[in-house]
Amino acid sequence: MPMKWASVPLALLLSVTSALCGSSSFENTAIVRTVELGGAVVHVTTTTALKTYTVALGKADREKTSLVEAKVKGQDKLLSYTERVEKDVSLFDVTLPKPLAGNKTVNIVFENIQTHATTPWPETAEQRDDQGLKYTTGLFVLSPYSTLVQRTKLKALVPRFKSYTEPKNVDAFVGDAAVTKAGATVVYGPYKDIPASTNANFIEKYQQPITVHYYHEQPVLEVRTLKRAVEISHWGANINTQDDITLYNAGPKLKGHFSRLEHQMQGYMNKPAPHILPALNLGLPPGIRNAYYYDTIGNVSTSKLRVAPLAPKGAQRSQFSLLELRPRYPLLGGWNYSFTLGWDAPLESSAAYDKKTGTYTVSVPILTPIPGAVVTDEELQIILPEGATDVNYALPFPALSAEIGTHVTFLDTVGRPSITLRYKNLTVKNAQDIYVTYKVSTLAHIKKGLNVAAAVFILFALGGIARRVDLSITPRKKKVQ
Amino acid sequence: MPSLAYPVPTDLSPATVKNTASLFRIVTLALISGAAIASRLFSIINFESVIHEFDPWFNYRATRVLASKGFYEFWNWFDPTAWYPLGRVVGGTVYPGLMATSGVIYYLLQALNLPVDIRNICVLLAPGFSAFTAWATYMFTKEMKDESAGLLAAAFIGIAPGYISRSVAGSYDNEAIAIFLLMFTFYLWIKALKLGSALYGTIAAVFYFYMVAAWGGYVFITNMIPVHALVLIFMGRFSHRLYVAYCSWYAIGTLSSMQVPFVGFQPVSTSEHMGALGVFGLLQLVAFANLVRSHVSSQNFQKLLRIAVVAIGALGASAFVFLTYTGKIAPWTGRFYSLWDTGYAKKYIPIIASVSEHQPTAWPSFFMDLQMLMFLFPAGVILCFRELRDEHLFVIIYAVLSSYFAGVMVRLMLTLTPVVCVSAAIALSSLLDVYLNPVEPDEEQDAVAQPAKSGPADAAPSTASSKSTSSTRGIFGIDTRLVVVFNTLWMLSFFVFHCTYVTSTAYSSPSVVLASQGQDGSQHIIDDFREAYYWLRQNTEEDAVVMSWWDYGYQIAGMADRPTLVDNNTWNNTHIATVGKAMSSSEENAYPILRKHDVEYVLVIFGGLIGYSGDDINKFLWMVRIAQGVWPDEIQESNYFTPRGEYRVDENASKTMKESLMYKMSYYRFADLFGGNQAVDRVRNQHAPKNIELGLPRRGVHVRKLDRPYLPSQERGHARAGSEERERL
Repeated sequence: MPMKWASVPLALLLSVTSALCGSSSFENTAIVRTVELGGAVVHVTTTTALKTYTVALGKADREKTSLVEAKVKGQDKLLSYTERVEKDVSLFDVTLPKPLAGNKTVNIVFENIQTHATTPWPETAEQRDDQGLKYTTGLFVLSPYSTLVQRTKLKALVPRFKSYTEPKNVDAFVGDAAVTKAGATVVYGPYKDIPASTNANFIEKYQQPITVHYYHEQPVLEVRTLKRAVEISHWGANINTQDDITLYNAGPKLKGHFSRLEHQMQGYMNKPAPHILPALNLGLPPGIRNAYYYDTIGNVSTSKLRVAPLAPKGAQRSQFSLLELRPRYPLLGGWNYSFTLGWDAPLESSAAYDKKTGTYTVSVPILTPIPGAVVTDEELQIILPEGATDVNYALPFPALSAEIGTHVTFLDTVGRPSITLRYKNLTVKNAQDIYVTYKVSTLAHIKKGLNVAAAVFILFALGGIARRVDLSITPRKKKVQ
Repeated sequence: MPSLAYPVPTDLSPATVKNTASLFRIVTLALISGAAIASRLFSIINFESVIHEFDPWFNYRATRVLASKGFYEFWNWFDPTAWYPLGRVVGGTVYPGLMATSGVIYYLLQALNLPVDIRNICVLLAPGFSAFTAWATYMFTKEMKDESAGLLAAAFIGIAPGYISRSVAGSYDNEAIAIFLLMFTFYLWIKALKLGSALYGTIAAVFYFYMVAAWGGYVFITNMIPVHALVLIFMGRFSHRLYVAYCSWYAIGTLSSMQVPFVGFQPVSTSEHMGALGVFGLLQLVAFANLVRSHVSSQNFQKLLRIAVVAIGALGASAFVFLTYTGKIAPWTGRFYSLWDTGYAKKYIPIIASVSEHQPTAWPSFFMDLQMLMFLFPAGVILCFRELRDEHLFVIIYAVLSSYFAGVMVRLMLTLTPVVCVSAAIALSSLLDVYLNPVEPDEEQDAVAQPAKSGPADAAPSTASSKSTSSTRGIFGIDTRLVVVFNTLWMLSFFVFHCTYVTSTAYSSPSVVLASQGQDGSQHIIDDFREAYYWLRQNTEEDAVVMSWWDYGYQIAGMADRPTLVDNNTWNNTHIATVGKAMSSSEENAYPILRKHDVEYVLVIFGGLIGYSGDDINKFLWMVRIAQGVWPDEIQESNYFTPRGEYRVDENASKTMKESLMYKMSYYRFADLFGGNQAVDRVRNQHAPKNIELGLPRRGVHVRKLDRPYLPSQERGHARAGSEERERL
């Protein structure tokens, strides 16, 4: 899986709302919904060759969705949207870059990422068993407009399906077959001439859940909590990142007991069980030092880190330090593993100083992506140097909550400003940067040194005085030995 | 003007000499402290900053409770997870001194906004206190001889393996601070005795209290000081200084020591403390007698008085015996008996005997722990005899007692080490004094005492004047001096090498993490213990009871955070015997025991694959013995041996052995690791059995849970199996 978090530019949210909302003078010429079946993360892309711009998501799908993006096909720029929630559907009014002239076509790509959308089935599996997952979605892509043709492709990673639902009561739309399977893809459709479908009438009559039961050969990973603390130090020219991660294997729970012997044999025959996670590969930033990996009871000595050199300034960052992280024990279905991972990076790799305004700008990645895993809860704390003022930050996408507080550490007197952000259900797509700007005065820089020096001086002075004061009642006599 | 063997600058003012010497002493002490700390950090460098062994894990866990919940919560802490289902009143059954010390340091650092992890404080506490120990030993030895002997003693204690063995970084045990407290209390006692100072006596009492709060070995002080006082009285050296020092120490020390809940009323009710009380009473009598004598000077009266003293002493002793007999005073504990009879524990209290550190010391370990100090030690004691001031008697008594104890129990090597360092320093310093003294003996000038010209000249004149009869004694020429001095230096540097070597190879393994060497000499870390514990911590219910042999109790509580049946605080013999019985019974008999105790997981350590000899099969006989002590009808040790009296695990093992739970759990599917080949147990060098069936996991409602969750051995199994595979190809 490619890791592209560092190369994703800052995502911008346009705030222009279209006055054309709710218009029904459009028609979907073709809708293709592609569902990339994964473990914890399911990626749904709906390409609509259309003249419309209101996209609908069924209620169940909306609940699973953690990220929604709309684009014009072939363009990078994201389109802004507003969401309206109705009884059975959520409607996203996408603002087109420019109003569409009559009878013209535009292709809109509507992406949404669903998390926790699959369930392991059967719910328990023995060590040598396969891992089966179930994914359920609505048969039709709902739309407030009539659709000429639509199909839904469900792509799995391996061409093995246990079962998939045969849709019923769809003869009115079906041309050749209601559902076909080709290789690793199950295709529902094409269905033709579908009327506007966001109304209760259509949903009741035709919309139905379809379930795909497929094999997945990678462990289903969930980061249940991620606590990231990023501490910026100007004295050390250092930016420290520390992640407290609780990892959970959301695959089928282990039935019976774990056999080391069997696990080893599977390793020998190069046929690892699909729901066992023996190790993880993580891409950390280049040029890091002092990486550490420990858990509640101490250092974990089984990891390997290859540090990539820091790219020269201005160059596109493309290399990553590769960390092969091995939990203390292989992670089987239903097992937890919590650990702490941290590293130092040179400050200049992610900070810039503007001489004119005296502001520092630091980019802080929201998370280090674990391929295929979903981060259920994240708390991100950015700790700025002591005495930082004019703190501002720009978020690539809104956080659930954001607050500025004070964090007191290492010989601080007044504490450091800190930004605490909370997120839910993040995926690789969310691995973007936050930009923080602040100012630090020269006095604030040297304040700590002065404080410590003063404290030490006072101590010595007190010591000196104490040595010279004689508090004894009778004058001290020379010791006789 | 005596002739000098080598030129000494004469134009220095005494003040300059004094100040320079004092500066040198401070710098040297600082360097010694640095060396003491640094040599204890091998374990951190080789492994990591981790708590070692077994007991430290409990101390660490208790410290975390103290640091997170505060002192009062800690005081009232009832731990329901230990000794399941009995629980343990922790606050009242620990020596809280160690935890309180780390807690105070932790709070202090927090107050300074220095966020140091409590684990790092615990890990580095012992090295930190070893620096204090070096200083306390310096002060103590300074009172015995002079500063230069003090510096030598400080250097010795700083790096002597006998002390390092219990105070490496991570060895977070009571001894970590106790040796400092021991030496410092002794120093204060000597100081109080020398000056007759109630202030020093009181400070000694305060540090005695700290010691009581920190280590059960405080009983050593409780008996050392009275014995010293008693010997002084018997030698006719009673003085008001002794009276003031002892009474202020005893009264305040005993009252304050009773404030520690774990000690409580023991100082007035147990035999170990009676000596101190008796000497306290005797001192009052002697003082009273002296008072009377100073008023009535009659020889007859004096004789009568002496008789009276002896009579009262005898009366007191017999009253004590009577009270012990009737049970008013608690009888001696088993641990105490085992101090006098090394075979006692094995016969009556197998739990004590099963601990390796309670075994008698082997001869080589004296030389491993103390090296050349071992033969300098008697020389130092003899030098103490030559002067025989009051404080020298203390060293002599200390030397005799601790030599005996160190011979009885390995762990008491620890109390021997300080006195060995002190005596050796006295001996070596006397030697150097003689050979570094630049003054040549003069055959013509007889009667003139030789004044020492240079250096801190406190002790030299006193030794010289005491033997002023022979002024012709001394060393002639520079060559003799050089030979001896270089020889000494060579011995000292060899001692340093020895200490470094022993520390780095023998005493710096955390035992939680094991290191093994690959064939190419590369180091492999075997971290299976923590793997199993962390698995338990992360993937079992929080109240899942884990059964294991008591050795692992503290580690399970500390690392896996799960309830255990028994742990290293071996207070309940029956409970331990229950676990022993479950382990040594057949599955049918063990299962009801496990169910009764809500056991959900059983942890067994098996090292047959990589040759880790400290595994449970090797401890198995102790389990059997302890179980036999309580259920002699059901468990008999002889049933676990072959008819020929061998302890075997292969096909020839006895039927009882083969059916026991421990055996089955250890060898369950072990042979599968070897493919079709003959399975070999590397610890016992025997063929391992095949086709061991474990019935337990497949029975009843606990099919899933009552299981070996993890066998660390199997993990090691792989690594081994892998390399063997390659060898065969």
